[in-house]
Amino acid sequence: METSPVITMRDLKRHYSMGEETVKALDGVDLEFLKNDYAAIMGPSGSGKSTLMNIIGCLDTPTSGTYILNGQNVAEMDDDELARVRNREIGFVFQTFNLLPRINCLRNVELPLIYAGVNPREREERATEALNRVGLGDRITHKPTELSGGQIQRVAIARALINNPSIILADEPTGNLDTATSQDIMEIFSDLSKAGNTIILITHEEDIALYTRRIIRLRDGRIESDKKQ
Amino acid sequence: MQFREIIRQALYSLGANRLRSALTVMGVAVGVFSIIGVMTALEAVNKSVETGLTSLGANTFQIQKYPATVFGSGHRRNQYINRQDITYPQALVFRKTMEGKASTIGFMLSSQANQAKYADRTTNPDVVLTGGDENFSASNGYPIEKGRNLTTNDIRYATNAAVIGSELAATLFTQGENPLNHSIRVRGEVYRVSGIFAKKGAAFGQSQDNFLLIPITRYLNHVKESGSINITVEASSRKTYSRTLDHAVGSMRITRGLTIREPNDFEIRTNESLIDSFRDIERAISTGAFIISFMALLTAGVGIMNIMLVSVTERTKEIGIRKSIGAPQNSILRQFLLEALILSLAGGLIGAAAGTATGNLVALQFNLPPIFPLLWITISMAVCSAIGIGFGLFPAWKAANLNPVEALKGK
Repeated sequence: METSPVITMRDLKRHYSMGEETVKALDGVDLEFLKNDYAAIMGPSGSGKSTLMNIIGCLDTPTSGTYILNGQNVAEMDDDELARVRNREIGFVFQTFNLLPRINCLRNVELPLIYAGVNPREREERATEALNRVGLGDRITHKPTELSGGQIQRVAIARALINNPSIILADEPTGNLDTATSQDIMEIFSDLSKAGNTIILITHEEDIALYTRRIIRLRDGRIESDKKQ
Repeated sequence: MQFREIIRQALYSLGANRLRSALTVMGVAVGVFSIIGVMTALEAVNKSVETGLTSLGANTFQIQKYPATVFGSGHRRNQYINRQDITYPQALVFRKTMEGKASTIGFMLSSQANQAKYADRTTNPDVVLTGGDENFSASNGYPIEKGRNLTTNDIRYATNAAVIGSELAATLFTQGENPLNHSIRVRGEVYRVSGIFAKKGAAFGQSQDNFLLIPITRYLNHVKESGSINITVEASSRKTYSRTLDHAVGSMRITRGLTIREPNDFEIRTNESLIDSFRDIERAISTGAFIISFMALLTAGVGIMNIMLVSVTERTKEIGIRKSIGAPQNSILRQFLLEALILSLAGGLIGAAAGTATGNLVALQFNLPPIFPLLWITISMAVCSAIGIGFGLFPAWKAANLNPVEALKGK
């Protein structure tokens, strides 16, 4: 079955001016991600993978080139349209978890639904369901500070899932976790992939990348290799 | 994002920084407290003044040398001091020319700070000794409770009869004696108590019953020859009041020998004129209180802005997180704006409550019913809202416009 790509990037460039110098963080990237892709973006620091991640996640816009996400040209959107896309199309999982520390898991997970305008009862139902999916159904009233690193990351994954996003974007999701916990988290991603989610990971750990089905390597703002495995 | 959610989020953030929020709220509260407190107290005083200053009987006015209150100093004050006293002979002439044009005309003259003695008891030196006539009781609203009023004969023969105020009676006659026909000494003179006035109560927290009335003729002979007489004129009805007033001014001008070009060298005091002159004081106080409170509120506003800026800086990461999961700019803006608004309104409410309570302590002092300064509370709340929004806008705008990538780094 022919599937249209979820993400299409053509000649994507992101340049920063640092004083007199121009830093070419991304310098002509062409990429496509299909539905149910499970890909890892790898590369040494300074290769542009964070910049690429920010652009894919609509936190940043490219200097030039096109970025089509689900048929919408993101490169031309304004701040509020980008916010809407982040809310509906993208589920973020961060290395540093990025939960709000003072509110409990349920409230953290339902936060994207608040911005989506979902009513309280449905929010609570869906947040509870998402927490169940990551195996934290019994921790919904705990605050992030009362959980272990692996549990916190699972809460973050639940939050990323809550709005049924087109892609789950994980930036070094195991970077702050020990090996055993990292494996748990990657199992969750693999399960989500089997369930049909599109997942893009950013990592510099080879053994983490091995969980995925596709490895994209960046160097100096360009794609060095793009292999299925 | 629904409004209720924003309120919840804002309250949550404020609750997370309780001490800081409380201190900021206090800044606003002090500003509002000062204005509400002063305004409530003023209103209390005001009510007390209206009852206290409506001391003259109906359809009655007074003619005297000085205005009820004199503001300022130097030239303005001298202008009154240099006036000729209204002498007893002048007063008599005035009465004669007014014959048939007023229902009663009374004279009085007072000296402050006297001591009264009876047996071995001596009062504090705060008794007012008033020389007057039989009209004093009616014109000044002092009915006779016991004994008799002064009579025309008392005036004619300058007798030593005295009608005493209820407080003076209570001070001197402590053992339940009947004061009537007892002798008391004031300024070395002996007076026989012929009557007691009914209690009038306090005005401005000061007793109006600590005095004695003696015939004005005796007063002039034995107490003090000089002094300007207050003339009390009562018109026969409300209808003739203003005509009587005109006649009185004319008669007084003739009595004082004024030419057409000269201004009046006496003052007409009515219940209204006295209340009016109090209003001047009140206006000055309210203006002062308003300016001071406004400054205080402005300072509090700067405090709010400061706290909100700190809050934005401190919560950069939180803002980044909210943006990354899809918070649009205006929801961040509204959240921070609402936090500022809640701080200022909470301060406003606390200040208004404390101010009303304190102001009512003053009302209590004057034995007045509780006062609720609705107008000033409304104004204060409006000002607080303006301050919350005004001073919260810049920090909120700053938060809403943070770059999500930078904000997520928590810088």
